[in-house]
Amino acid sequence: MSFAEPLPRESKPRGRMRRRLRFTWPLFFAALAIGAFIFYYVLTLGYLDPAVNDFVQQWFPLVSINEALVWVMAALGLNIVVGYAGLLDLGFVAFWAIGGYVAGWLMSGFFDKAHVNVLGNPAPFIVGGIHINFWLVVIAGAAVCAFFGVLIGAPTLRLRSDYLALVTLGFGEIIPQVFHNGDDVGGLNISNGTKGISPIDPVKSLSISQQGVTFKSLGPFDHLSRYLIFVVLTILIVFMSLRLREGRLGRAWLAIREDELAASAMGVPLMRTKLAAYGIGAVAGGVAGVAFAAHVSGVLPDRFQFSISITLLAMVVLGGMGNVWGVMLGALVLAWFNSTGLPQLGDTFNSTFGTSINFPSYSFLFFGGTLVLMMLFRREGFLPESRTRLVLREPERTDMEALGSDIEEQAPELDGMRIGGKSGDDEGARL
Amino acid sequence: MTRRITALAVAAVTLVAGTAACSKSGGSGSSSNKTLIVGVDLPFQGDSADTSNATLNAMKIYLDSVGGKAGKYKVELKQYDDSTAAAGKWDDATCNKNADAHVANADEVAVMGTYNSGCAKLEVPKLNQDPNGPMLMVSHANTNVGLTNKLESGEPEKYYPTGKRNYARVITTDDKQGQAGAQFAAKDLNVKRCVVINDTETYGAGVAKAFADEATKQGITVLGNTGWDAKQPNYTALFTGIKAQNPDCVYLGGIYDNNGGQLIKDKVAVLGDNTKVKLIGPDGFTGYPAEDKLPEADAMYFTYPGLDQTQIAAAGGTGAKMLQTYQSKYNGPPPSNYVAYGVLALQVILAAIAKSDGTRKGVRDAVFEGDGVSVPASDSVIGKDIKIDTKTGDVATTYISILNMKQQKETFLKPYSLG
Repeated sequence: MSFAEPLPRESKPRGRMRRRLRFTWPLFFAALAIGAFIFYYVLTLGYLDPAVNDFVQQWFPLVSINEALVWVMAALGLNIVVGYAGLLDLGFVAFWAIGGYVAGWLMSGFFDKAHVNVLGNPAPFIVGGIHINFWLVVIAGAAVCAFFGVLIGAPTLRLRSDYLALVTLGFGEIIPQVFHNGDDVGGLNISNGTKGISPIDPVKSLSISQQGVTFKSLGPFDHLSRYLIFVVLTILIVFMSLRLREGRLGRAWLAIREDELAASAMGVPLMRTKLAAYGIGAVAGGVAGVAFAAHVSGVLPDRFQFSISITLLAMVVLGGMGNVWGVMLGALVLAWFNSTGLPQLGDTFNSTFGTSINFPSYSFLFFGGTLVLMMLFRREGFLPESRTRLVLREPERTDMEALGSDIEEQAPELDGMRIGGKSGDDEGARL
Repeated sequence: MTRRITALAVAAVTLVAGTAACSKSGGSGSSSNKTLIVGVDLPFQGDSADTSNATLNAMKIYLDSVGGKAGKYKVELKQYDDSTAAAGKWDDATCNKNADAHVANADEVAVMGTYNSGCAKLEVPKLNQDPNGPMLMVSHANTNVGLTNKLESGEPEKYYPTGKRNYARVITTDDKQGQAGAQFAAKDLNVKRCVVINDTETYGAGVAKAFADEATKQGITVLGNTGWDAKQPNYTALFTGIKAQNPDCVYLGGIYDNNGGQLIKDKVAVLGDNTKVKLIGPDGFTGYPAEDKLPEADAMYFTYPGLDQTQIAAAGGTGAKMLQTYQSKYNGPPPSNYVAYGVLALQVILAAIAKSDGTRKGVRDAVFEGDGVSVPASDSVIGKDIKIDTKTGDVATTYISILNMKQQKETFLKPYSLG
C-alpha cells in the first residue's frame, strides 16, 4: 500500500446498525455451537448417510472439535494477559500443565496410599487414590492456577515488555520441567516423571447415544457429552472475559496496555491490576488443563512444550488481540488446522496428484507464512477489537504531516463517549 | 488491494475444497466388503520418522509377498500418524484421536503399533472399550513392562477397563533386557563389583533397576544405582567418586541421546578402557553412528531385546527374503532393527485374522482365547517360533542379543535366551 494514497476512513456505523454488529459474533458462535450439537446428535443417532458419516469422521471428527475447544479455553485465558493487559506471556503452557496435573492428582489412582472419594467416579480396577468430582476438580484446578499465576506474576511486576516476556518464558520452561523430573522430589513422587498419570477417572454426566440419554460414567466414545461439558466451560470463560472487560478492572487493563506510565499517573494501581490479569488468565488456563486431562484421559509431561505457548499466542494474535470472538475464531481454526485440517488436506492433495508429500511436517512453514502475510496485510488479526484496529490503522506522524491533518481519526479514547456521561448506543469501542 | 487478496484467497480455498470433494467421491466407491484393514499407528514425523516409514514399507513388501491376504480375507494397511510436527514426536492428543479413528473405521479389525509405550497407554484403554471389540493392538516396539505386567500400582489392569486383554507385543520388555545384561556380566564376563548409573527416565531407570536386582541375585556386588544428569557438561566428578569404590564393571541404563557420548568418554578417562573396567549398556545405546565412531566406546557390550538384522539375514527364509527385497527397492538396509519386528507384529495380526471370522472381536479372540496364535519358525520373519501368551499378550520365549563394539562396529557376539 503506497503512503501517498489516502488511507480509507473507518466506516462508522451508527445507531441500530452498530448494535447489530455488536451482536453478530456472539450470535454466530452460539449458532455454531448449537448447530454443531444438533448435527452431531443426528449423526450419533445414525440417521445420516454413511458417506456423510465418513466425511465428517475424516474432516471434522468430534474428538478434534473437543480438542479445539480446550485450545479455545486456554487461548481466552492468554487473551486476558496479552490481549487485555498487554503483558506478553511466553510461558502460558505452565498453567495448562498445572491444571492437567491437578486433574491427575485429584481424579486418578495415582496416590494409591490415599483412599479419598468425594462424589468421584473411579475407573474400573483402580484401587485407592483420590477421586473427586470433575466439577470440583475444575474449581480446584482454577484455584491452584490462580495462585500460581499470582506467584509467577509477582516477581515480574518490576519488569516491562521484553524483560517481562523473558521471565514468563523462564517460568513456562521451569514448571513443565518440574513435572518431567518430579518422580523423586526428596523421595516423594509428585508427577510420576516421564510416565505421566493415566488413566484419569471418567466424568459422570449425561450420556447421549443411540440408546437415548442416560446419566452414567462417560465412556471413551461419549464425545458428544464431553462436547457439551467443554461448551459449558467455554461459555463460562467467555462470560468471565466479557464481563471483566466491561468493568473497572478491564478498563484498568486496557489503560495499562495502552500506556503504563499514563495509567499509573491516572491512579491505576499497577501491581494489583497486573497480578489480577495473571491470576484470572491462569484460571482459564487451569480449566483448560483439567478439561484436556479429561479429554485424553491422562496427563503426560511431554506435551507441555514451548511450542504450545507459541501456538496459543499465535491464536490470540491471528484471531485479534483483545477481542474474545476473534480469539475464539483464531483458536478454533488453528487447532482444527493443526490436528485435522493439515493432515487431511495433505492426504487429499497426495491422493489427487499422486504425490507423497508429508504435509504435516510443513506445518510451521504454513504457520510462519500465514503470520507474515497477516502482519503485512492485516496486523490487527481476523477480528480485531475496534480499539486496536483504530490504533493500528492510524498513520504515523510523518505520514500525517505529508497527507495533511484531516486524515487523522478521532482519538479512540474519545470514541463512544459523550459529554454529559450518557454513552447511549455508541459503545462500539468496548465490544 | 486487500479486496484482491481476499478474492485470491477465496479462489484458492474453493479450489482446495473442490479437489477434496472430488477425491472423496472417487475413493468411497472402490471399497469391497471383504477387505479388512489393519491400522498402522506410528510416529511419521520427527526423529522416529525414518524408522516408521521403513517399517511401513517393509510391512507392505511382506504383505505383497503373501498376496495381500490372510486366510480368506483380503488385507490392506492404513497409515495413522501419532506424531505432530510441532512436537517432533508422538503427541498425546493425536494418540487419543487415532484411537477414535481406529474404532470409527468400520473395516478396521486390528492395529499394528504403537512405537512409544506412552502412546499405547492412552490408546489401549480406548480400543479395549470399543463397543464392537475389544480391538486388537500388536506392538513391535513397546518395551515398558507395565502394559502387560505389574510395574506400578493398578498396572496392567487399569489399561483394560473391560477386564479382557486386547494388547500383545512381539518385543522383549525392559526388565528382561536388564536381567540378560546382569547374567551375561556374571557368567560370561565374570565381574564382581558393578556400578549402575541411569538417566532417570522411565526406560533408563527401569532397565537399570532390573540389572541391579538380577546382578545381586547373580552374586555381583552392586555399588549403587545413581542417576546422571543429561545436561551436565562432563562427568569426571561422577566417575572420580566411583573410582574410589574400585568397580570392575559399569552399567549405563538409559539412552545415548542423553549425553551418552560424554559419559562414555569420561568413563574411559577416569576408570580406564572398557577391557579393564567393563562397560555394558542396553539397546538405548545401540544404533547411533556417532557412538560407533567414538574410540572410547570400543569393547563396550550391549544387550538388544531381539535379534538384529545380520542374524535375521544369516538365518535365511522369510526374513532374509524380506530384507533383500527391501534392500533392492530402497537402496539400503532398513535403518533400525525394529523394522523386522514391525513385520513380525503384522505376521501375528495376519495369523489372528486368518484364524478369525473377520470381525474385530473375532480377531481379538483369536489371540487371547483358546490356543492363541503362533507363527512357526519357517514363516516367522525373525526365523524363530513366536507364540503369544494368551494371558498377558507377551511373547512366550524371549530372544536377546549380546553385541560388542569392535573396530567402530556393533558386532553380534552371542544370542541369549532367558530361562
